[in-house]
Amino acid sequence: MMIRQAAKKALGLTSRQSTPFSVGIFRSYHENVIDHYDNPRNVGSFDKNDPTVGTGLVGAPACGDVMKLQIKVDEKTGQIVDARFKTFGCGSAIASSSVATEWVKGKAMEEVLTIKNTEIAKHLSLPPVKLHCSMLAEDAIKAAVKDYKEKRVKTNGA
Amino acid sequence: MNRAKKVVASVSTLLTRRTFYPSPTFRCDPLPTVSANSESHWSHESLQPSPSAQELRFSRRRFCSGSSDKRITVCWNCGFSSEKAAFLFCDSCRSIQPIDDSIDYFQIFGLERKYELDGGSLEGKYKDWQKKLHPDLVHNKSQKERDYAADQSAKVTEAYRTLTKRLSRAMYIMKLNGKHVNEEETITDPTLLMEIMELRESIAEANDSKELDQIRSQVQEKLKQWSDSFVEAFESHRFDEAVKCIQRMTYYERACEEIVKKL
Repeated sequence: MMIRQAAKKALGLTSRQSTPFSVGIFRSYHENVIDHYDNPRNVGSFDKNDPTVGTGLVGAPACGDVMKLQIKVDEKTGQIVDARFKTFGCGSAIASSSVATEWVKGKAMEEVLTIKNTEIAKHLSLPPVKLHCSMLAEDAIKAAVKDYKEKRVKTNGA
Repeated sequence: MNRAKKVVASVSTLLTRRTFYPSPTFRCDPLPTVSANSESHWSHESLQPSPSAQELRFSRRRFCSGSSDKRITVCWNCGFSSEKAAFLFCDSCRSIQPIDDSIDYFQIFGLERKYELDGGSLEGKYKDWQKKLHPDLVHNKSQKERDYAADQSAKVTEAYRTLTKRLSRAMYIMKLNGKHVNEEETITDPTLLMEIMELRESIAEANDSKELDQIRSQVQEKLKQWSDSFVEAFESHRFDEAVKCIQRMTYYERACEEIVKKL
């Protein structure tokens, strides 16, 4: 909630009239991006120390973005049952991570590793300059899965 | 394309002869097509060949620099050629020159190419340049010179902006040394990212300006600290470390921007 408010202020996207499309010179955010921005799904956190949780924390230093994506995995089936994200960055980064959390839910871990940034970018119609935001989301998914697996190895090995 | 222009240039010098006056008034373009240009001042021009005429060579800098390895710049106006890149004004006829990309921002302000600089001198020099170059101040010059003045003015402003802020200065100086800070890289350093995450969260959760100011001063301190680390790393040629310093500084700058927006 607070991220949305903070982000809203940050982006100045407090109203739709900041996205004109008539002249063609202005680039407006795609409606999917605005949708994820206004109604972000899965914002929040899981307990990092929960053994069923994998946390992916990634950053894009060029634009100062930081993205945290967490997955909750069913230990028996290896399926991701829930996901949360927290992203500080531009609207495209927020939307990309929101989409990522939606797409990983209900999938097996191996399957989500095949989610490509280009798919996220296409879904959000991201312009070329924002492609790295979707890349960040893809990296966040991979980091979360990796973290979960590493935790399991630790607990199993211990 | 260059060759064609050269041919035209040599033909034009055959056709017309100009008297060379080392005066500050505007010199017209000798190409025949420009005679239709109503903005040119013909006050000192003469189309008739004169016995003591010196041929004006109309050549743009890019011809010369393209054809030789030596950096030679030629004034478009008086033909004065110099190995020193003329910034802004031709040393000879004082006409405004087009942008020369080889001149870096430090040179514009007469500074050494190093990271630390005295902020006061920068501002003074900037204001001096703008006094000379401001588009409003070149009314009496031709359209071409006014356009050059506008370009140069923009470049000076860009240079000033880049050099005043620590972060952009750091990135620029890295770029000048051929070290590009990777634009699209994703980082996964957990300590740094956790710190930034917590910082941004605290900014988002801060309720009053006092809290925000407090956070801001902490961040400014961090910026100073990492700026110093950058200098050290850069001067010791530890460029990877320097890049990391820049990355941190970017994150702190972004956080500062958030604070300012919230305030």
